[in-house]
Amino acid sequence: MECRELTERVMDRLTGEAEASPEMEAHLARCSACREELSRLERAWETLGEDPDAEVSPTLREDTLALLEEEMIRRRIREFRPGRSLRPRRGLLQAAAIVAAVAGGYLAARLGVKGTPASSAGSSPVAAAAVLPDLSAQPRLSNVAYTPADAQGRIGISFDLTDRRQYVARPEDPEMARLMAYLLARNPDTPAEKSRAIQQVSESYGGGTLAEPSPEIVRALTTTLRKDTNPGVRKKAADALAGLPVTAESRAAFLEALRADSNPAVRLVAVEVLARAAREAPDARTIESLRERAVDPRENGFVRAKAASALQGINF
Amino acid sequence: MPEGRGALSATGADDAKLIERIRRGDTDGAAELFERYGTAILRFATRMLSDAGAAEEVMQEVFLKVIGRCHQYDGRAAVNSWLFAIAANACRDRRRRDRRAVVVPLEAAPEPIARGEAAEMRMIDRERRDAVRKALASLSEEQREALILARYHGLPYAEIARVLGISVGAVKTRIFRAVETLKSRFAEGDTQWNAAN
Repeated sequence: MECRELTERVMDRLTGEAEASPEMEAHLARCSACREELSRLERAWETLGEDPDAEVSPTLREDTLALLEEEMIRRRIREFRPGRSLRPRRGLLQAAAIVAAVAGGYLAARLGVKGTPASSAGSSPVAAAAVLPDLSAQPRLSNVAYTPADAQGRIGISFDLTDRRQYVARPEDPEMARLMAYLLARNPDTPAEKSRAIQQVSESYGGGTLAEPSPEIVRALTTTLRKDTNPGVRKKAADALAGLPVTAESRAAFLEALRADSNPAVRLVAVEVLARAAREAPDARTIESLRERAVDPRENGFVRAKAASALQGINF
Repeated sequence: MPEGRGALSATGADDAKLIERIRRGDTDGAAELFERYGTAILRFATRMLSDAGAAEEVMQEVFLKVIGRCHQYDGRAAVNSWLFAIAANACRDRRRRDRRAVVVPLEAAPEPIARGEAAEMRMIDRERRDAVRKALASLSEEQREALILARYHGLPYAEIARVLGISVGAVKTRIFRAVETLKSRFAEGDTQWNAAN
């Protein structure tokens, strides 16, 4: 073995490619220059080990896992192509629209607010303290009736306590907002009562009205959407929320409804609202939820079609 | 410390299953791959770039690319080799984008101020660590890639050749030249250190 050859063998040994051979040992025993070279190479190799290893910090780990999860969702969405069977069929959608219109008319007729405008109801606006009971004591307000807005935009809510009372104010009035949230969340005994309260909220705050619902009202609606046992009431709450600006709270409630609500009509509203929100501000979780509905063979055909169609309109 | 020859290949079949799971859209598969190789890729990138922040970004970039390219993985190379190949390319791209990272060695983590012999020993350790980092940074990119994969990740020549897309002979040459350079640098350092003391 020559000295040049030995250097190569030493490197192979350092990198673990080869073991020391008797031939190599014999050469080292008789060549001091190679022994010195071996020692220098080994020292250099060992010295490299003094560079400490970097570690993945808990924060980096957490961030990276979140990033990867997000990317996996993005990839699934990018690869998603709704099949022909998932596209909405014109005839079916028209039929659905007719059914919805009939049902809406029936509900409106059944639950719609009756009465004369507040200004002509015979009661003049009064101070809240004089009319409203302490709502924190959770009093039972019975025979609740709603009076449509007058020329000044004031609505009226009448109810029986120990006597008949009416509170008249604009929807943005804080006491009016509290009263409505209370009637939504605490007071109703029957689905019809709750539906009427939701209807009033829709008329007062939704559909392009200028009044903004209070967080209490939004919370009452989202709680109703999430927890009310009556599917019709949940649908009503979903419709009311759909007419309001989407908040983080309402988006979360719709995501939950889309995933778990047993009423397909509720899920349909959830698809519409979430798709609209995703078009304005794409959000991976929302899109993934829509995708899941679009491809789930167990999902209702309308909901699947609507979800598939919604996904196509989102630039993600 | 090197990660150990064979330690990675022993999990080769599992790795391929992980890639298959990622292909099917399984998020847990991507998380598991990261848990398995995140540290190795971070260490590789840290030594290649001499910049901790850039290395972290590259490490994340590598796993994002794996998700995007999992359909391209054909199983011919081990998954860890494939990851290192992506990492090596990502480091080259990064260095092209950020030239400053080429020569700036890593700043050692700040250490508490100590006095006496312990402080002196710590200072010596730190100086030696810095010397190693500077020495690594002084190598050509090609030499550094091959050396880091061999020295710190325990990859055999054939695996390194696959990662870097070069012949086994070229791998040996690069590693040998790298160690030759380092040998001289460390010898100079020892001389200076001994002279100063």
